[in-house]
Amino acid sequence: MLDAILIFLGLALLFGLLLGYAAIRFKVEGNPLTDIINKELPQTQCGQCGFPGCKPYAEALANGESEVNLCVPGGHEVMIKISEITHREPVEMADSTPAPTERIVAIIDEDVCIGCVHCIKACPVDAIVGATKLMHTVITDECTGCDLCAPVCPVDCIDMIPIAQTLQTWGWKEPITQVEQTSATSQDNSSSSDKPS
Amino acid sequence: MSQRLTTSPFLHNNSSVQKLMLQIQLAALPALLTHIYFFGLGITIQWTLAVLTLLVVETTMLKLRNRPVMPYLSDLSGLITVTGIVFCIPPESPWWLVVSAVTFALIFGKHLYGGLGYNPFNPAMLGYAFVLISFPAEISHWTLPSTLSGHTLSFIDSFHLIFYGHIPSLSLDQITGATPLDAIKTGLTMGKSVTDSLQSHLFYLDALPYGWTELNIAFLVGGLYLLSRNYIRWQYPVGFLLALGGMSAIFHAIDPNTYASASVNLFSGGVMLAAFFIITDPVTSSTTPKGRFIFAFGIGVLVFIIRNWGAFPDGIAFAILLMNLCVPLIDQYTKPRVMGYK
Amino acid sequence: MKTQLIKWLTKIYPIAKRALKKFHGGVFPSYYKELSSRHTTLQTSLPKELILPLNQHIGAEDLPLVAMGDKVKKYQLIAAADLKNLHAPIHAPASGTITAIEYRQLPHTSGLTGLCIVITTDEQQVEQTNPLNFPAKKGDACQPNTPQALKDIVYQAGIVGMGGAGFPTFAKIPNVKGKIQTLIINGAECEPFITCDDVLMQQHASEVLSGAQIIAKALACPSIIAGIEDNKPLAIKAMKQAAHKFENIQIQPLLTIYPMGGEKQLIKELLNTEIPAGTHAIDSGILMMNVSTLRAIHQAINLGRPLISRLITVSGLGLDKPFNSEVLLGTPFEQLVEQAQPKSALNYPLIQGGPMMGFEVPNNQVPVIKTTNCILANPPQTTETTMPCIRCGECMDACPINLLPQQLYWYSRSHEFEKVEKLNLFDCIECGCCSFVCPSHIPLVQYYRFAKSEIKTAKIEQQKANLAQKRHENKLAREARLKAEKDARIKAKKEAIKQKALLKAANTDEDASAPTKIKKSPAVAAAEKAAAMRKKKLTQTSQYPIDTQTQTQTEEMSKKPALSAREKAIAAAKKRSTQTKSNVENSAEKRKRKAQTASNSPSVIETAEQKAIRRAAELAKNMKKKALAEKNRVEKQTNNAPEDHQLTTSQNTGTGTQDKSVIEKPIANKRAVAMQAAKERAAAMKAKKLAEALQTKNEKIE
Repeated sequence: MLDAILIFLGLALLFGLLLGYAAIRFKVEGNPLTDIINKELPQTQCGQCGFPGCKPYAEALANGESEVNLCVPGGHEVMIKISEITHREPVEMADSTPAPTERIVAIIDEDVCIGCVHCIKACPVDAIVGATKLMHTVITDECTGCDLCAPVCPVDCIDMIPIAQTLQTWGWKEPITQVEQTSATSQDNSSSSDKPS
Repeated sequence: MSQRLTTSPFLHNNSSVQKLMLQIQLAALPALLTHIYFFGLGITIQWTLAVLTLLVVETTMLKLRNRPVMPYLSDLSGLITVTGIVFCIPPESPWWLVVSAVTFALIFGKHLYGGLGYNPFNPAMLGYAFVLISFPAEISHWTLPSTLSGHTLSFIDSFHLIFYGHIPSLSLDQITGATPLDAIKTGLTMGKSVTDSLQSHLFYLDALPYGWTELNIAFLVGGLYLLSRNYIRWQYPVGFLLALGGMSAIFHAIDPNTYASASVNLFSGGVMLAAFFIITDPVTSSTTPKGRFIFAFGIGVLVFIIRNWGAFPDGIAFAILLMNLCVPLIDQYTKPRVMGYK
Repeated sequence: MKTQLIKWLTKIYPIAKRALKKFHGGVFPSYYKELSSRHTTLQTSLPKELILPLNQHIGAEDLPLVAMGDKVKKYQLIAAADLKNLHAPIHAPASGTITAIEYRQLPHTSGLTGLCIVITTDEQQVEQTNPLNFPAKKGDACQPNTPQALKDIVYQAGIVGMGGAGFPTFAKIPNVKGKIQTLIINGAECEPFITCDDVLMQQHASEVLSGAQIIAKALACPSIIAGIEDNKPLAIKAMKQAAHKFENIQIQPLLTIYPMGGEKQLIKELLNTEIPAGTHAIDSGILMMNVSTLRAIHQAINLGRPLISRLITVSGLGLDKPFNSEVLLGTPFEQLVEQAQPKSALNYPLIQGGPMMGFEVPNNQVPVIKTTNCILANPPQTTETTMPCIRCGECMDACPINLLPQQLYWYSRSHEFEKVEKLNLFDCIECGCCSFVCPSHIPLVQYYRFAKSEIKTAKIEQQKANLAQKRHENKLAREARLKAEKDARIKAKKEAIKQKALLKAANTDEDASAPTKIKKSPAVAAAEKAAAMRKKKLTQTSQYPIDTQTQTQTEEMSKKPALSAREKAIAAAKKRSTQTKSNVENSAEKRKRKAQTASNSPSVIETAEQKAIRRAAELAKNMKKKALAEKNRVEKQTNNAPEDHQLTTSQNTGTGTQDKSVIEKPIANKRAVAMQAAKERAAAMKAKKLAEALQTKNEKIE
């Protein structure tokens, strides 16, 4: 009897020490959740979530201070990912329209631009170059299409245009096969019928 | 149901699941004829019952699962399943046996997992194992070959036996009896050595089970046809027969009184049926070349173990189901070396 | 011995034939090669119009060097790109006039358009002399002896890999002599239907070998091996005959199996070496060239001719007289196919390339480019219904790379792209063997292409996101730094002022030590002044009833600018709302027009079209409503604002400070209006875009 108790006490002590050691030895610095979430965010830095950029939103999410459905450019997919990472209930996007699939970029009508530098200040990724009283232009490759510059322009010379597809950006579509199509729709049916209406 | 091909390749070798299954079904014909020759026409009734059950169950399940009925019913994969079951159960067993086996196989073995291509267990063996465990008495009464019992069962006789359980003029014991493997097993428990058991009238020349040898050879012939036409892979029969034959040869050499010879082991029960028709089911077996061999070899070893040291006279169904469980693991560790990689 | 055994085995076990070659897998399709090879090569007539896409190769798009209306001579250089970018220049295949430089549909499966130079040919066919700028002395002088010299000529001649890849050949040639041990001539031509390489080897074997000799000489490559599938006995014979005079050339007949002509497969078969994954054949000392490419090199160096034409096969089950022909680049597909006498009207898309790896072209007018080896006119086939995968493993047995096609399919379908990548998806050569043998008729290759595209796009997007993040962080850091600098500067300035004041005070202290009256420091003086002001104000407030006169005066004064600001804002808002309204009307009109055009378009697409139009119309209606509401709101505000203002002013007890808040309100309004207007603009733009997209779609349909 006593032996058993002693053995178990000893084991408990041993494992306790092991756990304690592991906690110190393998301690994770900082909040890794922030980085994980930040990686999933689209990095448009558009501020539509109400935070000044993607990382602050990720931080807020990691601390559980914000809703999971605020990232507009990321849309439904990113919301699902975030809710998976943070182990929270997915919340439908406030705006039900799906995120635009085609990438858009800002373009400045250089004839109209008055060189007010408002857009330069607004651009979160420094993708607009120019100086006061001089024409501005957008570095297309670096524009994230966040649409922050268009509203601040006093002369409305900024347009958001979709990037045309080229042979380089063109990609194959997913094949649709007949039997699977029917099975997919029936799956939808069954899942929708599962839901309590 | 046709759509235009829009992406390469624009050519196809014209194979299809349906053709594949049809070929397998055709390859089982010689075995069917042999079976009828030795065990009477009972199997045709069982087969008809099984196919009717198949049609009803498949249609119902496909409808319930919201799937198109025709393409899935016409793929003939269900036919292979019922054929496997029909060859496994005694030809004069009651009608509800085959019906419940087929129903269980199709519902629990196939459709509940998502239908063709998604089932982890061989449906035929699952159905057979179900009736084997649930109705052991009915399964153990196998019709004796007509030459042994002295009675040739007519179609009417078989019909009576299957649907009413008796024939007016005969007692059941006169026409049914133990299978050779059963005889060896019970002989061993009664203290008789294997050599003694082999003296019984169930065997030719003290070595080959009567009737069963021919049936197995018929399966072998059909199987070799499938093999030559590349409908099945050589790794399955080779691995399985090598393991079973090898193990029985080794143990027979050590102790001929407890272990039957390789020939008895290879030509009794459903060995050739399993080797060429059951374990070759691609859905539930390993896909890599090495994996196929390991899978088949494992089944051979397990069959030998269950036959000799287990509670059942034949262990093919359990061996196959057990190896089905190991398939994902085998696949994981037998990935082939991709060209250009070390 | 082993081969004998396998050959015997194939009689009872046909698929054992796979064991006759060294690489894994492979399939045996029906070849249909006799279709095109039994007809002799045809001379095709000079097309009226040649269409030359500026991107016929892997790499950057060329830039046109000619302008509209220019007269060009045959062989004249008409397009090239910056040397920094990988590209191959393009030459005029015939003399004529540049009639257009415009976007036309490319012979590419995407159906995208690309910039093309269109030459309307003339009768004279003037040739440019010495198009490759060889030194005046002909003969050995232009025989390249160094890799660089060879590369220069190959580049200038615009030669690309003509087997189908289209990689600029000069970029493939190593810079160093002696790096290449074996030059492999790829004459396998494993695709069904295609016979152009077969015919080329039969008729121009010496040219092919001369091209190979030039490379071998320039690169000091000791051995040349030509691999030819054994279903081309005539080509093997011709090549063997031509190779007699060379000691270093070996002609090797190969088993006829698809895809024997794949680079890695052919190298494995001929040299029994595998190219390690992630490296090129060059790294293993092997250079492989297609027979057509070698002939082009021969023509460039020995005849001084750039690449302007190529031998192609026009074949297919839908043609009566398939043929092979030397065709000028830029010839439209349809013209060639018409010459082969189609059995029925060409109302189906043609296929560029072979049936295993080729693709349907978006329309039959697309031109022959440098990589076109075959035009296939196969009447449309129907696929059998795709069944679920039964894990039969046929695909795996057929894969020439020894991948796990079925697992790749599984993960591609469930979009688990990380796992697909781990299964070496990018080693897949898209040969189509797996789809060819699949009994379930699953379009496996298409799944892999899709997965590859998705992974590539995701990678690019990830890179972009990383860049954006970095730039955003940099911006934040910069702003923080600037703010800190500014703060520091202000602090320093303050500090300085304080110091100065202290110093001054000390000085005055010293100065004032003589006069007894103590002078106050400026700070103290200011404080005192402020206190005095406060006192005065206090008295003013207490005098409020008496002082109404002055109060109203200040009010009047502050009201004026406030009102004008508000008016401005209102005017601006009004203008904008009318603008949006007109915009909306414009787009609505456009949409209406669209609807009309849509009604003209074929009935098949009508339903989809109508849906889109209805949606667009609804959108427009909504927007109109919104704009109207906005206008109303603005007007209401205009009415309300003065009242508001009066209210506040009547309650106003203070002086300027309160007035300021009143001024600020219209400014805030202005901002809101501007914001609203911006949103409206965005919406209008979206609608416009939609309308435009619809229009282009309609145009396409038409």
